[in-house]
Amino acid sequence: MAISRTDLLKRRATDFLGQFKESKLGLVGVLILCIFLFTSIFANQLSDFPIKATQGNLRDRFMPPNNKYLLGTDDVGRDILTLIMYGGRISLLIGFLAAAISGGIGTAIGLAAGYFGGWKEEILMRITDIMLVIPGLPLMIVLAAILGTSFWNIIFVISIIGWTGTARVVRAQVLSLKERAFIESSKAIGASDLRIIGVHLLPNVLPLIVAQMVLRIGSSILSEASLSFLGLGDPLSVSWGMILHWAFSSGSLSSNYWWFIVPPGICITLVALGFTFIGTALDQIVNPRLRRR
Amino acid sequence: MSSREYFIRRTTICIVTIFAVIVINFFLFRIMPSNPVDILISPLMGQEKMGPEVREALMRDLGLDKPLYIQFFVYLKNVFTLNFGLSFVSPRPVAKIIRERLVNTLVLMLSGNILSVLIAVVLGVIAAWKRGSKTDIASLISALTLTSMPMFWVGGIILLVFSVRLDLFPMYGTVRIGYSHPNLISYLSDYLHHLTLPMITMALVSFGGLFLIMRNSLLDVFSEDYILTGKAIGLSERTIIFKNALKNAMLPLITIIAIRLGFMIGGSLLTETVFAWPGLGYTIYQAVEYRDYPVLQGAFLIITIIVVISNFIAELVYGYVDPRVRTGANRST
Repeated sequence: MAISRTDLLKRRATDFLGQFKESKLGLVGVLILCIFLFTSIFANQLSDFPIKATQGNLRDRFMPPNNKYLLGTDDVGRDILTLIMYGGRISLLIGFLAAAISGGIGTAIGLAAGYFGGWKEEILMRITDIMLVIPGLPLMIVLAAILGTSFWNIIFVISIIGWTGTARVVRAQVLSLKERAFIESSKAIGASDLRIIGVHLLPNVLPLIVAQMVLRIGSSILSEASLSFLGLGDPLSVSWGMILHWAFSSGSLSSNYWWFIVPPGICITLVALGFTFIGTALDQIVNPRLRRR
Repeated sequence: MSSREYFIRRTTICIVTIFAVIVINFFLFRIMPSNPVDILISPLMGQEKMGPEVREALMRDLGLDKPLYIQFFVYLKNVFTLNFGLSFVSPRPVAKIIRERLVNTLVLMLSGNILSVLIAVVLGVIAAWKRGSKTDIASLISALTLTSMPMFWVGGIILLVFSVRLDLFPMYGTVRIGYSHPNLISYLSDYLHHLTLPMITMALVSFGGLFLIMRNSLLDVFSEDYILTGKAIGLSERTIIFKNALKNAMLPLITIIAIRLGFMIGGSLLTETVFAWPGLGYTIYQAVEYRDYPVLQGAFLIITIIVVISNFIAELVYGYVDPRVRTGANRST
């Protein structure tokens, strides 16, 4: 008797977990991510300092780290450790959302190009190539400057340039899947294009897409930080990038207020590194092109 | 594909891409949520009120009263004659501003990236040859860490340490302001003194990615049969690495640098902003700050076209030195 679908999925999942545990870097990534998720989610339980700019204690502005303020204070007297815990919420949220949206766009384009082929593929891949060749950061800057700075605009701007990698990976995988017998036989029994794509192709490329998305989260967080630094962030939400923007624009660099500049950057680096570790570990397992190594 | 067909195909793609970039650049600045006319004109008004007749005259000057397709043809003509209009902030031609600033960007990008390529190649060879060794793991982790750092933050930390704390290098600009240099040598040494920190930042920013790609392509080369043969017939490590492996691993480096050019330009933009280094990137930052749309549009177009043309040249060179590229062996990439 043939094994059931759930059994197969279960076996695949245990297989996958077994392989993932082998990767030390992947586990380090998960650990980093867990720590930052914890401090972001429980930010309001972990600290009672206010985060609104108007509620800062102006008498305590630019204080170096001390017993009351473990990481010192900013230009309006807010506790920097508290800002960083709340900043993690926005930075991680923007990272997740932008990666999910760009992953969705890339998947749709990659599936369509790979499956339909012909002139449709040619057009879609030319568009991908053009997007790939336009320098990302300048394009994001121009778009953000034109659209205006808001939470969703930032996410849109980051997503619109981040889908090309996923589109290419998905297309390449679909091209090789298309030649397999089960796709041929589905076509022969008259399955619709939508059904073949949704039921047969998508589940097979999904692991690759997830790995790509995880890798995108880190770079999306970095993009948000760059945009915020350049004054194109959402001034109403506290992200790690915005904290750095306030640090730079308040002249903390030339005044040697290192505690305002060093910690947010370390957080961004650790989180981006964590996602790179997890994403690379996933990619090694699911990407047939990398398995050799 | 014959080399002639390859050349024609790449040229067509390059021309189509440049045209697409011009079209995108034209429409981007006309899809703004608020009335594009207001955004293109309003910064000119400053604080004072402007009567409707002045407004109309300005619209006529900028050609905004004409239908969109005519505006497009005018824009196309202007692009080919390098006429990008006047800056909103200072009434100077955008093309002139861009030309002045381009040199500083080229100096920064070239010096920083040459430094970075040198380090990446040397470390890449060592890491790939002694795969899994401590040096390999250490350089791998530092490369990954560097690519995870916000680039502007790297510049900020370098500035904090070497300029603010140790006071070894100036904080901003290309030369001392308000100081007339007696001769060229004094000017150049001052320029180099200012260039040092931004150059190191630029090198650090692009090192991570370059190293990872270099190591990967060397790992590929080292697993090729001819390297094994070299080992079997008793060639020295030095001969194998420098005569056989490196030569073949350098090939992809040409394309890698061209493909990463867009990324490097992003890095340069952030570095220039941190160090107030008056290049194209800093110009874009200032244009955003003052909502100087003609400068923003012109600088973005020039940067993009430079990247497209560099990619085109790299593809031609690569197709010329490695015939496999032309014969369609890499159709799937």
